[in-house]
Amino acid sequence: MEWSHFIYFSLPAVACWSIGAAMAYRPNKSGLVLLWTILGLAIFMAFIVGMWLSLERPPLRTMGETRLWYSFFLPVAGIITYIRWRYKWILSFSTVLSFVFICINIFKPEIHNKTLMPALQSPWFAPHVIVYMFAYAMLGAAAVVAIYLLVRSRKTAIDPNVMSLCDNLVYVGTAFLTIGMLFGALWAKEAWGHYWGWDPKETWAAATWLGNLLYIHFRLHRHTRYKAALGLLVFAFLLLQVCWFGVNYLPSAQGNSVHVYNME
Amino acid sequence: MWKQPWGYTEGWAISIGLFITGVVLQLTTGKVDATLFQYPLNALTGGVYLFFLIMVYVVSRKAVALQWFYSLTASITSLTAWMVLVIIMGLTRQMAPSATVTHGGLLSGLGFMQMTVSWPFMLLFFYFLSVLGLVTIRKISRFCWKDTPFILNHAGLFITLLAAILGNGDLQRLRMTASLDGPEWRATDETGEMVELPLAIELKSFTIDEYPPKLLAIDNTTGKALPENNPENVLVENAPFSGCLLDWDIEVSHSLPLAACVRSIDTLNFVAFHSEGATTALMVKARNRVDGTEKSGWVSCGSFMFPYVSLPLSDSVSLVMPEREPKRFASEVTVYTKSGERADALIEVNKPLSMEGWKIYQLSYDETKGKWSRTSIFELVRDPWLPVVYIGILMMLLGSVCLFVLAPGNKQGKTAANDTKTV
Repeated sequence: MEWSHFIYFSLPAVACWSIGAAMAYRPNKSGLVLLWTILGLAIFMAFIVGMWLSLERPPLRTMGETRLWYSFFLPVAGIITYIRWRYKWILSFSTVLSFVFICINIFKPEIHNKTLMPALQSPWFAPHVIVYMFAYAMLGAAAVVAIYLLVRSRKTAIDPNVMSLCDNLVYVGTAFLTIGMLFGALWAKEAWGHYWGWDPKETWAAATWLGNLLYIHFRLHRHTRYKAALGLLVFAFLLLQVCWFGVNYLPSAQGNSVHVYNME
Repeated sequence: MWKQPWGYTEGWAISIGLFITGVVLQLTTGKVDATLFQYPLNALTGGVYLFFLIMVYVVSRKAVALQWFYSLTASITSLTAWMVLVIIMGLTRQMAPSATVTHGGLLSGLGFMQMTVSWPFMLLFFYFLSVLGLVTIRKISRFCWKDTPFILNHAGLFITLLAAILGNGDLQRLRMTASLDGPEWRATDETGEMVELPLAIELKSFTIDEYPPKLLAIDNTTGKALPENNPENVLVENAPFSGCLLDWDIEVSHSLPLAACVRSIDTLNFVAFHSEGATTALMVKARNRVDGTEKSGWVSCGSFMFPYVSLPLSDSVSLVMPEREPKRFASEVTVYTKSGERADALIEVNKPLSMEGWKIYQLSYDETKGKWSRTSIFELVRDPWLPVVYIGILMMLLGSVCLFVLAPGNKQGKTAANDTKTV
C-alpha cells in the first residue's frame, strides 16, 4: 500500500459517508445511516491498516499521517453524536470536514518513509497520537458549529439545544485531550526522563487544555451568555491549531522541540 | 468594586495585582531561585500549605468574603490569568531555567524567557493552585457519590501540580559517560558539577541498529535535497534493487553494509570490511528517462575513517547517501550498587533501567564515531515524588473517563435528544 493508492480508498469512503449523511435526513433510516457510515469507515481503515503494514510502523509520524487519522475520526465523532443525540445535519458536516482533510492529503502529500526514530518506538506512541486525533476531531467539530452559530446569530437566535451539543462535544473532546496529554506524560517519563518538560508543543498543549477548561467553567457560570462562550470555544480551537501544526512554524519553537519530526 | 459579593472585576483585579507584584519582584530580585527548596523543606512547606488551605476553608464558613475564592468566578479568572502566561511562554523562545540570560531586553527583564522560574508565573500558578485546592477541599468536605468525577478531576490535578512543583527541588538529573574500559560511578549535573553516585555502571557493549541506506538527489551548488520543498528519496532495503528518483531510474547491483574504501590515483572501489570504522556503500547505475544518459559508480555515506562518496548525475545534480538513520540504540551494562548488588541489563531508548530509586536512560554516545562508539552516555534520574504525581495522574485519567461516559448524558443532552424531533 502506498500513498498513490489513497485516492482509491478515500473517495469511495467519502461516497459512503455522503450516502449515510443523506439518509440521515429521511425518517426512520437510522439503520442505513449507520451501515453506510461504517462501510465508509471500514474502507478508510483498510487503507490505514495497509499503510501500517507496508511502513512496518504505525502511520502517525508525519503531519500527513496525522491528517489521515483526523479524516477517519471526524465521521466516527459524527456517527457517535448522531446515535446519541440524533442531529440530522451532523453527518453531512463531519463528511465535508473529513473531505477537506482528505483533499489536502491527495493534493499535497508529504514524503513518507519507513524510518521511525528510536524515541518514537514505544507502546505509548499509537495511543498518545490516536487519542489526541480523536480529541482534535471532536473539538474541531465543536469549533465549526460555534463559528456557524456565531455567523448566523445576527439573523436568528442561538438554539439552546445546539449549545448543549457544543457542550457535549467539548466535554468528550476535553476528556480525550486530557487522556492524550497524560499518556504523553507517562511516555515522556519512560523516554525522556521526565513527565513534563515545557517543550513548545507541551506548552501549547497546556494552553489548549486550559482554553477548553475555561469554556467548560464559563458555561457553568454564565449559562445564557452564548456568544461569549462560543467565542471562547473558537479561541480554544485556535490554540489547538498552534499546538497541532503551528509549532512547526513558530520561531520560538525552532530547534528545541522533541515533537518536530517531519522536518527532513 | 470590592463590595460583596465579589465578581469578575475583583477576580481580574487580584490577577493583575499578583502579576504586577511578580513583575516588581522579578525586576528587583531576579528569577525565582529554588535550589535550596529540597527535602525536608519542600515537604514541610507542602504540609503547611495544605493546612493553610484547609484553615481558609474552615474560616470561610464564617467569613463570607473568603467564599469567593472557591467560586466559579475565582476559578475562571485565575485559570485565565495563568493561561495567558502559558501562551506568552509559547510565543517566547525559552532558555533553560539554570541559564543566565543576558539578552532579550524587556522580555528577559520580565522573566518571560525563563517563564517557569519567573515571579509572575510562580505567583499566578500558586493562585490558580490555591483556588483549585479550595474548590477540591470544599467538594470533599461535603462528599457525595455523584461528585466522584468532579473530585477525581480536581483533586487529581491538584495533587499532580503540587507534587510536581514541590518535588522539583528533589529531582536529580545527571549525565554519565560509561566506557568499555571499566566501571564508572561519577556523573555530572546540569551545571557540570561532578557528583559521586551510590552505583557504578560498566559498559559491556554498545550497538546501533540502522535503517537501510537511503539515496537522494541534491543540488550541487546549494547542497539541498531535491525537489526543494518536498525532497524525495529511495530506501534501498536489499540488492539488487531498482527504483526511481526525479527523472532517473536507479538500479543498485551491489550493497555492502560494512565496507572499506580502497582508493588509488584514478580508481575508487569498496570492499567488504567487518571491523571498526566500516561504512556503507552501494554500487548504483542511474539512467535518465528524458535524455538517456547513464551514470554509474559507488555511493557511500562515509564514516570517521572513510570519506563520503557521491555520484555526479549532471553538472547540477548529484546522487548521495545521507547518514543512515538509527533504528535502535542499546547498551549492555553491568550495574553495581554500594550494597553489593550486581545486575546485568540492556538499556535502550524507551526502555530505562530502574535501580535503587534511580532510572537509567540511554541518552547518547560518541557521535563522532557513530555505531563504532566505545562509550555510551546515560541519563540518571531520581524523582522521589514520582509516585505522588502518578497518583494524581491516575485520578485524572479516571476522571476523564467519567467525563466522557457521564457528562454527555446530562439533562441538556436528553432535552436536546427529545427536541430534535421538532427541530
